[in-house]
Parts: sequence; structure tokens; C-alpha cells
Amino acid sequence: MAEISEAHDSDSSKSTDNASEAPTQPESEPEFNPKLMRKTKPGLKRLFLTFSVLFSFLLGLQFLWKSVEIYRSPLPFREIDSLSTQLGSDHLIFPLHFHALFVGFDSDPDRLRLSILSEITKLTSQNPKCSHNYTLSVTVDSGSHCLHSPTTSPHSCSYQCGSITAIDFDQNDDVAIDERLVPVFGGKTNEYSVVVVKGESERAVVGKNRRAWVVVGSGREVEIAVVKVAEVLVKVFVNGGREEGSIRNEFMPVGADGRIVLSFNLLNADPRDWVYDWDFRKIDNNLLAPMIEALGPVANISVESQVLYHTPKASFSYWDQQLQSYVFSTKDLPFFVNSNEWHLDTSIAAGGRSKILQFVVYVPSAKECPLLLQLPNGEISNTNGFISPMWGGVIVWNPQGCLKDDNKPTARRTIPMQDLENMFEVFTGQFRQLFGFKSVNIYAGASGVWNLLPSERGFTEWELDVLSRQHTCFNLHSCASTLGSLSRLVQSLPRMIIMDEIGKQVKFSLEAAKLAQSNASNGVYESSAASSRQARSLAEDAFFHPSIMSVSYYSFEHCFAVYSPFFLPVSMHVVLAALSERRRYRKEKSKYLAWKAKANAAS
Amino acid sequence: MALLQRPFFVLLLVLTHQFMQYWIAFGSVNEEGQKQEEEFNEELLLKPLPDRKVLAHFHFQSSAPPSTSNGRHHHIFPKAISQLVQKFRVKEMELSFTQGRWNYESWGGFDPIPSSNAKPPGVELWAVFDVPQHQIDASWQNLTHTLSGLFCASINFLESTTTYSAPEWSFPPASGNLRYGTLPREAVCTENLTPWLKLLPCRDKAGIAVLLDRPSIYRGFYHSQRLHLTSTGSGSEGMVSGIILEQTLTVVLQPNSQRAGMAYASERHIQPSWSLTSIFGKQVSGTCVLAKSSNVYLLLDRGLVAELEHLHKENEKSAENGFTSQNFWTKPSFELSADPDRIFIEENSLHSKGSSVLYKFQVEKYSESEPFDLSLTWKIPVVWLSQQAPLHASRFLMGSGNERGAIAISLKSTQLSEGFMGANADDERCDLQVNVFQVVPWYVKVYFHSLQVFVNQQPKAISDIIEKIHVSPSKDKVSPGVMEMVLKLPCKVNSAALTIEFDKGFLHIDEYPPDANQGFDIPSAIISFPNFHASMIFLKDDSVNKSPLLSKFQEKSPVMSYTEALLVPLTTPDFSMPYNVITITCTVFALYFGSLLNVLRRRVAEEERFLKEKAAKKTGRLSLLLSKLSAKLRGAWNEGSLRVS
Repeated sequence: MAEISEAHDSDSSKSTDNASEAPTQPESEPEFNPKLMRKTKPGLKRLFLTFSVLFSFLLGLQFLWKSVEIYRSPLPFREIDSLSTQLGSDHLIFPLHFHALFVGFDSDPDRLRLSILSEITKLTSQNPKCSHNYTLSVTVDSGSHCLHSPTTSPHSCSYQCGSITAIDFDQNDDVAIDERLVPVFGGKTNEYSVVVVKGESERAVVGKNRRAWVVVGSGREVEIAVVKVAEVLVKVFVNGGREEGSIRNEFMPVGADGRIVLSFNLLNADPRDWVYDWDFRKIDNNLLAPMIEALGPVANISVESQVLYHTPKASFSYWDQQLQSYVFSTKDLPFFVNSNEWHLDTSIAAGGRSKILQFVVYVPSAKECPLLLQLPNGEISNTNGFISPMWGGVIVWNPQGCLKDDNKPTARRTIPMQDLENMFEVFTGQFRQLFGFKSVNIYAGASGVWNLLPSERGFTEWELDVLSRQHTCFNLHSCASTLGSLSRLVQSLPRMIIMDEIGKQVKFSLEAAKLAQSNASNGVYESSAASSRQARSLAEDAFFHPSIMSVSYYSFEHCFAVYSPFFLPVSMHVVLAALSERRRYRKEKSKYLAWKAKANAAS
Repeated sequence: MALLQRPFFVLLLVLTHQFMQYWIAFGSVNEEGQKQEEEFNEELLLKPLPDRKVLAHFHFQSSAPPSTSNGRHHHIFPKAISQLVQKFRVKEMELSFTQGRWNYESWGGFDPIPSSNAKPPGVELWAVFDVPQHQIDASWQNLTHTLSGLFCASINFLESTTTYSAPEWSFPPASGNLRYGTLPREAVCTENLTPWLKLLPCRDKAGIAVLLDRPSIYRGFYHSQRLHLTSTGSGSEGMVSGIILEQTLTVVLQPNSQRAGMAYASERHIQPSWSLTSIFGKQVSGTCVLAKSSNVYLLLDRGLVAELEHLHKENEKSAENGFTSQNFWTKPSFELSADPDRIFIEENSLHSKGSSVLYKFQVEKYSESEPFDLSLTWKIPVVWLSQQAPLHASRFLMGSGNERGAIAISLKSTQLSEGFMGANADDERCDLQVNVFQVVPWYVKVYFHSLQVFVNQQPKAISDIIEKIHVSPSKDKVSPGVMEMVLKLPCKVNSAALTIEFDKGFLHIDEYPPDANQGFDIPSAIISFPNFHASMIFLKDDSVNKSPLLSKFQEKSPVMSYTEALLVPLTTPDFSMPYNVITITCTVFALYFGSLLNVLRRRVAEEERFLKEKAAKKTGRLSLLLSKLSAKLRGAWNEGSLRVS
């Protein structure tokens, strides 16, 4: 091309037949300098041609770009962000209604209400994630008439004035009192009620439903009662009676798909000494079924069992002469579970993201029987068991007398039903512990000891409320964080294929999360737990969708390697041609303009 | 479990169990007694082979009766298998991992052991499902993934429709809901054995499975680990069907010869004496306490027994004329270290050759202080041959080059089987029925019209020999080709051969497996003889019925054999080739495009003027020459490109 651009200083000739901007020899004009001027307008043909090629090339590039583009389903990034900011800025508030009933008192209900409220604010520790919004109503029943505070509370109207008296609380049967209280406050209300009565035997009991009662003696009864009422409301009904820092509240042993598999294993350490079997179906039907039903709103639970043999523990115990038994101390507990020999296995029946909780009954072999677990303070554990959070629990069960039947060592014996029942009581306690509750039925607060009535279903109603609230809170936060990571991942990888299905799952997950939020703020715990569970499992499904992996198979480098051998040289040609034509055209035009100016000046 | 070792492991001792004293209220509902219980049996069969090797066949059987809680609560039966059966509605399934090839010629092909335990190399999986027709494929795909996880193997490669097929009738448990797939190249090792052992209640901690010493069994000539499960019909309404899980491990081992003063020359003919310790390096120190029965058998096959009887007769010809089998077996020509608890002699109804003898040893009688170590010492040299299947099948490739070839299956009569074929030979038309089942991958494009049949090296019309044929042609990248045939060969046939031609297909570049130059495997064909049954019938006895291994032997299963797996070399591209091609074509295009553009922009007249001016100036010889040269070159180039355009 260099030679063409040089052509402007060529000697002018007459040949104009190439129909171009060849400058013609000026004869009449003596000042005409062919090197600097020309008389004809420079032609546009070649310029137009090269530029049209360049433009079509650029146009084609767009099509090419479109054709190698990968499919990305649009994700609602803004909504994901707003969900996490909403949850972050404390928008998940559970409404709670408290009702305190003072029977046989004649104090001013408004004053009582204020003092209880001030006690409550003293006790409330702010949970950074989920907060509660409570309303309190106080009723004072002085026998003849009732005083309400606030006077127009929508929640205290269910109480019929004078329907309970202090005599009802004289009996010692707490279960009967609990049942007696059910119709008093109306069968199905979500409010938490505390009854304060004067009586002989001082005691404080929390019932199976959402009721508690305090019997206070004479003296400074009102002040004591106020403190106790505030404590039971905040520490027991709201926080579930757990101690701060026992197990982190976020630990919910529920799988991402909202399922738990309880896998019960009976381990015979050495079947050559004795072989024990159990009748698990009976246990399953009689003991576990009610508990599983009670936990229905929180998790979908299934139960499996197996018996394994030749499963020694991984660490050694020592013989204690005083106890006449083998002792295993707490510091060795991490080495009790033998992951090489205990093939507890995951369940095929369960889905991929279910949580499996292993419960193990360990039957020691004859040479380490009886085996006892020792607490750090040197005492022997009553339950002979321990838990490992998020994994499950272990119980050591020693056969009666540790007697080896030498005549028939291979005969399979069954664990006596009584022992099995005790074992499952411990398991229930362990299960409660895994959920963060206490395994004892006593709550020792600052103001005194509360007796907690246990439910035959394993979890009382107020405990289930606590679980539902906690579960909703946990699920929504985990859903928000999963979706947040997904959106960050998607935005950081522009070459990632995102299927429509992922987009749909994200959309549904957000919808379920919204529903859970609105249900939670309306106080419908069960359905909010269910929809929050759905939101979380959909978010996890979207995040773990197998098609997300396809990013690695179609990289930008591949694209570059395939297309550059053609487009690099061609684009070089086209662009250079366009540039040189443009330069030439400008030069020629300036020549023409120079001549024209001269001609104008001459004329 | 890894959780347990983490440092943040928090442990809480449950302090008390006062919790919920009256939590439990037991219903005294007495459930209908499940009389049947889960059972487990362990057995080992040892058999000397004619080529101085020893066959060891471990047979473990667990069974779960029909019950409502199958898949959830188990005592002995492995929970994983039961859940697998429930989840995928598996009616019957067999999975085998094999290394080495069963040597049909010297190890026999007629007994129940080779018929049902000789397997093709690699992984073979077939399953019958109890689901509607349209769900079978989905069930199969999920099953392959589950098994893959369960057995640490790449069984999930059987998920793709190109790797499995649905035989119609030639595969023995023929049924419409059957799927069959093989992975001939799967390497089998101890990582597959460990999960297999985990399904046994005692694993390899006690009982006969203690013998499974990994170095010894993987040193063997043949190693096949098999898992077969059958779900038995459900007992009543609402019951989940019971399951019988049969786990077998068949190994062929070379005992370390323990020679004691034998002459070197005759050593080659003398059977080596062996013991459990010399084969496995271990001995059985007791039973698995959970096993209902725990037995070791020593099997002498028909050929060996006939030979021994013959030798015995010769030795004692002068002394004793009427010998009964009873006193013959108490004075045999070999010595056993332990006294057998029972001797079973096969009911000989069909075969004139002789009848097998089975020695039974009960492991219950031995303990840790007195371990069971069976040893066999030969007193006299014996040579015998194992009983063969009626025809010996082998398969090979014909042709050369990367374009086309042919597969040939050759069937050769084994002389030994003449005896029982002779029984039918008097008939006018005596036929030997042979079923052939063959799967070929889609990239081996078989031309079914080119099927040729040769009987006794003479070409025959296909319709004369092939009684029934079912062909499902392969679809490219979708399904493999399946060929099922029933051949009717005359009884006196010496040899028969089937040939079929194929073209080798081209694969897409990303369909090649790693190491594509090794070649592609064609899975083994299955040759079965439905008129011959591999069974050993022993005297009807309670103890025979109790033993799962012996009752397995009594079952009438057709004689089956697998051919070799073939290795077909396909044209493999240079895998960097696509980029090379792209680069060179693109460069050519770019050159063409660029020069075309230049030609379009050329100003011929201007250039000529420029040249003239240059000539007029006569700037110098060298530069003139150069400019001339360049003009020429340019002219030539431009002419050329003009012509092209």
C-alpha cells in the first residue's frame, strides 16, 4: 500500500481512463503544481468500498459475538440483595403475646404490668439475628372482680373471671393442674400465660402447653412474683430454657432438604463373647412415632436401624479397682468412635442433602465389661452416654452382670425391654440436646427453680414453638446467604451457563422466603417454618445444580484459539486498508481544495 | 465421622436420665410374631484343577424374609442393599467384578461353578426391575449411580444409553424388564472388595472370610467377585418382599508346591499338595458366630474321580474284585489333614463318566486353639481333564486396517462331551441348540446381512442353521447393536463359525476416552446351551437342602460361557488436529481475503505512471533493478490473484 500512497507525487499523464482521482495535467495554469494540487474531485469509490467492508466486518462481529454467547437465565439479583439486607437489618420479628394472671391479689394491674415489663427488658438479651416483639397483658383476679391492663387487650378476653382459684393449686399433681388450666385460657391460643397464686407450698411449674404457674408464699409475694413471671416468660418461653453458650443457637441438625434420618445402630463390639439384638420395631412404633409426629413442622424425620458386629471402640479404657469396672474418661471421648470399624453408613433411602443423626448403642466385649464413662469431675455418668453435636449420640450399655454364657456363646440374646426403654429415654434426652434443649426437667434461673413438666411426645408445645421460631430464623438466614453466594458467584463468572431451572428455583425460593417472613410476622409459626424450609432447600438446589459445573468446559481461551487465526489477519487487512484509503482521500481532497482556492484566486 | 476428629468437637455428657420418668407408655400389643428371621450362611468350596491350580469359591448368603420393616430395620442383612432394592424396585440383580479370564479348556465349563461364576473381565451388571416399562431406564440409571458409590467403581459409566442393552430372550433370566451392561476395562482391586465385605455381618474379622488375605487373592490367575440378589415374593398384603443376597468370590490360585522328595522329572505331572495356609497364608480359627452354617467343602470333579477309580482298580485288581464306593473313599490315593464330616456322592444319572465327590467339613468344630487348616497331599500322580461344555467358543477379529473388519465366533466341539451326546445320536435329527448373545458398541457398525455360517468348515445357508434371530441395530451415539440368535447345529458337528462384517465408525473428538490409542473393547459374547444343565444332584438329604451352596448346585441352570472381550483399534485422530486445521484454513482464508481487498483497491494507471517516472529519473542501476524486480513480482502476484477472483 505504500506505493499507492506514494502515487500522488507521480508524474501526471493523460490517462484518465481508470476513472479515478488521477490528477490531470494543468496546461493553462502556470502555477499549477501537480505535487500539491489536483483539478478533479477525489473519487469515493475505493473509499466507499473499503469502508463498507469494514462496516460489514464490524456488523458480522456482532453476530459472531451473539453466536458464541452462552445462555444465562436472568437472576433476580436485586431481590436477593434486598432479602439479605432485610434479614440483616432485623426485619424478622416474631410477635409474642404474654398474659400474666394474678389470682387472689388486689394490686393495681397497671403497676404490675409496668414492673413486669421493666423486668423483661432487663432480662432480654438481643439476639442479633431474630428478635421478638412482645405484648403483655396483666389480669388481677381478686376473687370478686377482675382488673385488666391494658383494658382493651385483644388477648386477655379469653379468660373468664373467677374460673380458677387458689384451691386448684393446692394439690400436688402438677399434670392435673396443667390439664385444668387448658380450658381456662381457651384451648388453642398462641399466648403464653403465667398464673400467680398464693399458697402454702411454694413452687414454680411450667406446663406442657403454653402455661406456667407460680405458687408464692406470704410476705413480699408480689415482688417475687413479678421477677419470676418475667423470668419464665423470657428465659423459658422465649429462649426455651437453654443456657447461653451451651450449643450455638444456629446449630439445627436438619438437612438442607428439611429431612432428618435417625439411624439407630446397635454395635456388638465382639460377637464372640455375646451377641445382643433388639426389637426395634416396637420401639419405633411406640416411642419414636409420637416424637416424630410432634416434630413434623420442623423436620421430616425417618427412622432406620441396624445391628453391626465386630466394632471395637478406637481407644482403651482402664480397670478401676474401686468401681470394679473399666473406666473411660472424658478426655478420650473423641477417640471413642471408631470410624474405621463402625461402618454406620449413610442411608440410600435418604436424599442427598438429608441430615443423618447416628445414635449408637455400644455393647462392650467381655474383656472391657462393665464399661463406664467418667465425667471430668471424676464422677461416673448416670446415662453412660455422650453426644457429639451435629453427628449424634452414643450410649454404652453393659449386659447384666457381664456374664459370658460359656455353653452357648453364639446364642443371640435380646436386650431386655426395660433397659431398652431406659436407653430410649436417654436417646430422647440426647436428641433434645442436639436441638439445644436441656435434658433435665428443671430450669434453675436467677430467681429460683422451675419445674418443667415433660411431654410424652418428647417436646412440649412451647418448646416446639421455640424450635419453629429458631428454625424459621435459621432457614431464612441460610437461604439468604446461599442465594447471596450464588448471586456473587454468577456475577463473578461471566462465562457460566445458567439454566432456566436455576432461575426458576431462585424465584420460587425468594417467594417462599417472603411467605415465611410474612407468616412469621403474623405469628403463624408452623407454616412459616414449613415455607422457610422450602425456601432453604430450593436455594440449596439452585446452588448445587449440576449444570453449574459446565463453566469449566467452554472457556474464553477456547473461543479465542478457534477464532483468532481467521479474524486477526483479516481484521488487520481490513482496518489497514480503510485507514490508508482514508488518508489518501484526505490528502487528495486537500490537493483539490488547494487548486480550487488557487483557481478562485486567479479568476 | 471426620467430624469427630475435629478440634472443636464438643462433647456433652448426659448428666442424668431423670428426664421423663413417665414418658414411656408401652403398648402391650403383641405383634404377629415374625417367625422367619434374617439368616446368614458362609461356605467355601475348594477344588483341585487339572493344571496344578486350586479353585476356591467363597459363598456367602444373607437373606431377609418378607417383612414390613425391610429397608428400615435390620439385624443381620445389610441395610444398604435392602434400601437399594426398595428404592429401585429391583427384582433380581447381579453385579460382578472380574480380573483375568476363566480358562474354559483346563478349568472346565460344565460344572455349576464355571456356568454361573465365570464372568467376563471387568464389570458386568444386569438387573430386572419391577417397574412399568417406561421407568426402567430411569431406574437403571439411578441404580448404576448408587452401585458406583456403594462399590467404589465407575459403574456410573453404564448410565449412558450407548453402554447398556435390553436383551429379549437369549440372556438366561430373560424378561422384558432386563437391562444388561458391561465395562470390560474396569480394573478390579481391593477397594472394590472392602465395600463388598462390609455387607457381610462379620466382614473379614471372623469366619471363613478371614482367609481373604488381599495379597494372596489378588495374586491369583482369576478373581471374580460377584453379588447376586433376588427379591422373593412378598408374603402378604402390605409386606415388603424378602431379599436373598448371594455374595460369591471365585479365585483360582497356584499353591506353593510343597514337594517332599519327589523326583524332578515327574514333578510336572504331580499335583501339588496344598493346604489353606499355603494358599491363603491364613487359617480359619472359628466360625462367624452369626452364621447359621459355616462349612468348607472339597470337591473332586467327575474326571478326577473317574481317574482315581481307574487307578484304584488297577492297584487292587488282584486283591479285591468287588469294591464298593464306600471303602474306596476311605482309602483314597490322597490324604486329608482333617476327617470329613460327611461325604456326598453325586447321583449319577446322566453322565457315564463318573460322579463327583464332595467332602464336607464343619468349621464349628474348630476353634482358635485348634484352627481349621485343611491340607491335601497326593500320594500318586494323577492326570485328568475337566468336563467341558459341548462346544468351546472363542471369538476373534478378522481383517486389517482402520476401515473395516469382521468378527468371528468359532465353536469347536470338545471331544469329551461325545459321551452324553452319543445318547441322542441315534435319533434321526439330533440338534444341539446354542444361544448367542452379543452386544456391539455403536461405533462398530455391524452389517447384519453379511452374517455367514460355516459348519464343519462348509458354508451353510443361514436359514438352515439359525432358528431364531433377533437383531436391534445400533443407533449412532444412542444405543449399541444387539444380536441374539438361536443356532441349531447337528450333534456330530466338529466346528462351527459365525462371521459378520463391520465398518469402523468415526467418533467425535470429545467422545474418545483417555488413551484412545489402546483400542476399544467389544464386550464378551455369551454362548449358552439351553439343553444342557449344569447341575450336580446329591442324595436328597436335609443337610443338602440346608446348605445354600449345595442347593445352588442342584438348580438346573443352562451351561453358559463367555467369549473373550475384543479390542478394536479405531482411527484415532491427532487430538491437536482440530486446532491445526482451524489455523491453516483460517490463514488461507485470511490471505485470500486480504489480497482480494488489495486488488479491489488497486490503481493500475497510477502505478504505471509512477514506474515511468522512476524510469525517467534513472536514479541508479541497483535501485532500478530492484524496482523492476519488485514491479514484476507485484505484477505476477496481482495477475494471479486477479485470475483467482
